[in-house]
Amino acid sequence: MLPDRHHIESFLYREARLMDSHAYDEWFALWTDDALYWIPSNDDDFDPQRHVSIVYENKARIEDRITRLRSGVAYAQDPRSRVSRVIANVEIEAGENGEVTVYSTFNLTALRRSKMDTFAGRTIHKLRPDGESFKIAYKKVILINNDEVINNMTFLV
Amino acid sequence: MKSSRLAIDYNDLVKEDRIHGRVYTDPEIFEEEMEKVFYRGWVYVGHDSEIPNPGDFQLRKMGRQSVIMVRDEDGHVQLLLNRCTHRANAVCQVERGNTKKFRCAYHGWTFRTNGELLGVTYSDRYDESFRKEDFGLRKVPRMGIYRGFVFGSLSPVGITLDEHLGRPAKEQIDLFVDLSPVGELDVTAGVHKYGYRANWKFQIENSMDGYHPNFVHQTFFDNIKRRTGANITGVFASHSVCLSRDLGNGHALLDFRPYNKANGAGLRAALPTTPSGSAYRETMVARYGKERTEEILTSGGTHLLVFPNLVLIGVQIRVIRPIKIDETEVFLYPTRLKDAPEDINITRLRGHESFYGPAGGGATDDLEMFERNQMGLSAQVDPWLYLARGLHREYEDVDGSLVGQVTDEVTQRAIWKQWKKVMLQGTETPARRRANGAVRRAVQ
Repeated sequence: MLPDRHHIESFLYREARLMDSHAYDEWFALWTDDALYWIPSNDDDFDPQRHVSIVYENKARIEDRITRLRSGVAYAQDPRSRVSRVIANVEIEAGENGEVTVYSTFNLTALRRSKMDTFAGRTIHKLRPDGESFKIAYKKVILINNDEVINNMTFLV
Repeated sequence: MKSSRLAIDYNDLVKEDRIHGRVYTDPEIFEEEMEKVFYRGWVYVGHDSEIPNPGDFQLRKMGRQSVIMVRDEDGHVQLLLNRCTHRANAVCQVERGNTKKFRCAYHGWTFRTNGELLGVTYSDRYDESFRKEDFGLRKVPRMGIYRGFVFGSLSPVGITLDEHLGRPAKEQIDLFVDLSPVGELDVTAGVHKYGYRANWKFQIENSMDGYHPNFVHQTFFDNIKRRTGANITGVFASHSVCLSRDLGNGHALLDFRPYNKANGAGLRAALPTTPSGSAYRETMVARYGKERTEEILTSGGTHLLVFPNLVLIGVQIRVIRPIKIDETEVFLYPTRLKDAPEDINITRLRGHESFYGPAGGGATDDLEMFERNQMGLSAQVDPWLYLARGLHREYEDVDGSLVGQVTDEVTQRAIWKQWKKVMLQGTETPARRRANGAVRRAVQ
């Protein structure tokens, strides 16, 4: 039986809201201890041990990321980007032990120093049940512009 | 409106201890840089390991010109201008790939991977004066390769690549490449591409700026300290034993070897903390001998600028691509060490990602500094930027290169010295006219 769609979508929306509002600690709390966070560079899929990624992080590296962002001296986010994203086209696949794979798309607008940038792509989440909610065990973000010049993507994606 | 049609005197803009802000803001200067720095001089184009097989190609830029770096059917590297000789259509549309030939879609002309014109559609409508051999894809007039690094010059005359690089820069390239037990790089691990809205020279100067890391990259060093307990900010402090070097011809080096020597060799190679560290060291010693291996591992790569557009730092080949006076792109190619243990290459890759790329935790803060620089330049009551740090204390090393402490601006002064020299070259001198003539002859 498929898990409740409303429940899963609510989780994705909450994650989006935390990212949009730069709620670094709350966002970090969403990850499992064995988490993997992946944003490929140049292509949508490859062996990340042989090819460079924009982000390829375990939980310790994700912690580095948010520790840095909340320090107040991560200058790429000083001033902060204003970010707004829409999550849509959610598809759900049931896995083992209640784990679900969730496919979604996003459209994100970031404003910084009077310049608006648009990012878009697909996200694959592997969500693991955690009490009443989920935790993120795996997240892969496939940017449509992953082989283009990107000036600043230091906000949460 | 242009303020003046008079030639710019670069002696007025670049002094020994300061530079005028106009060098970062004047579009006329940018146009002149394209011509004098990026077309007449040697620029880095790519690495030959990026095109291992016949027909492999990479689309690159020399200044603003689109150039195909391709391995031809005979296995030779070619640099071809991406422009059909008929009506200037770009013959290559994708950034990388493999092809048997380049075909212009507009009227169907085809070219071999060595540039020769292969076929002309409906060729019966040309008379006998039309010779296919006159219409091959134009080649970059001069090409040179050192340790797989492919350089080109769009001028048919000038100093050789060997003269341009010089011995000190070549020694540093060697140290970067010889981290591989077979002395070969594998540049097939993809690329980070980022950009910023400021002048291109901020990136080359900052690449060689040993004064900024403890301030701009505090978050990076804090994370290292939090995770490992190690405080490495001493490397970039004013009491550091590390050095800044002017290697001549605009090439510059931040030299961390004194620190690495004092703190154990192989710092950057992450030895022997990786599982294969000792095996790697053994193969290195077998190939290079003990002494040279220590030298290579102590260097841990390099921190080198090859003027004007190539930087080797950590594991990466960094290429600076000027777009406009206040817009720049930077491409970073992390390298793999051929025949090194896989986990060493993986460690290098992960280390690179933690600092670099558009979402990275280090270089993105540098880009912010460059944009703040460009904003600051709008305030012009005092138009000068101050470059005198350590000027009173720099000295000549035994090899003739100028040396200072790592936070000194020896490296910045090295860049500006060369930049001024290149920019002072006449715009339409007899030599220039001869060079233009030579281009025309070369294509006839």
